[in-house]
Amino acid sequence: MPLDAMSDHDDEDLLARYARGDAEAARALTLRLTPRVLAHAVRLLGDRAEAEDVTQEALLRLWRMAPDWRRGEARVSTWLYRVTANLCTDRLRRRRGSALDDLPEIADGAEPVEARMQRGARAEALQAALMQLPERQRQAVVLRHIEGLGNPEIARIMDIGPRAVESLTARGKRALEAILLDRRAELGLSDDG
Amino acid sequence: MTDRRDFDDGAPGPDGLEAFFAAARGDAAQPDGALLSRIEADALAALPRPARTKRRGAGWRALVQGLGGWPAVAGLAAATCAGLWLGVSPPAALDAVWPSDPALTSVDPLGGYDLAMLGG
Repeated sequence: MPLDAMSDHDDEDLLARYARGDAEAARALTLRLTPRVLAHAVRLLGDRAEAEDVTQEALLRLWRMAPDWRRGEARVSTWLYRVTANLCTDRLRRRRGSALDDLPEIADGAEPVEARMQRGARAEALQAALMQLPERQRQAVVLRHIEGLGNPEIARIMDIGPRAVESLTARGKRALEAILLDRRAELGLSDDG
Repeated sequence: MTDRRDFDDGAPGPDGLEAFFAAARGDAAQPDGALLSRIEADALAALPRPARTKRRGAGWRALVQGLGGWPAVAGLAAATCAGLWLGVSPPAALDAVWPSDPALTSVDPLGGYDLAMLGG
């Protein structure tokens, strides 16, 4: 449950209140939606600063379209994931050409595990692996396996069919396995306990 | 967390990846105060103005304000009541100063002069 002052209200309720000029709803939506959008943008972009810009822009679009929101047509989260992904795609296109230089660095050095919390190291390794996937595979895998959305909602977000979602996630996972399993020993996973 | 079991099973598979996904879910980027403040400022700046609805009693409120507020209205009402009371039932103490000539204390809405004029 979102820890905001209006946790009894769903996103659509709050957006309707916002559209009527309710400043409390503005604050509640900010607290509720910003972490979701930021986390998703970081996963798609692999860059915190750019992800913050995307988050602000995505939410600005939500504020501006709030008066025209048609209740029941789409979930606010679905709409936001879609806008966020589109904004990330625009930035990735601009980045293209120097892609390898801009990828987040995989933790290197002799003691990555000792230097970090185990969870952080795995999350970082996954993020680096995700950045090596084609953009659409990355988006599908993140939405399915990290954000925990169902295939029908992912299909709406990505504007493709559910079978295409399955195909993208399956290929993405195979690629992730190939990348990450080479790093098991480095991450000390077999000695985890 | 079931990391040890997941990663001790050797072969790559969904369980192994799930440990990574779980780690990512627990390591999600969190917004800092500066970002939240910027976004809230955007939200408040774009906040639609509430629709103006005509409030009941707005006309009375405007009249009261025009007369100088509730104290002025109360004073006006008291003076009106006192005047009316003195007219309907004048106190006996005023008899000495009150003219006894009925012509001065009553109103003839249609006097003899007016009737004469009407008659031509």
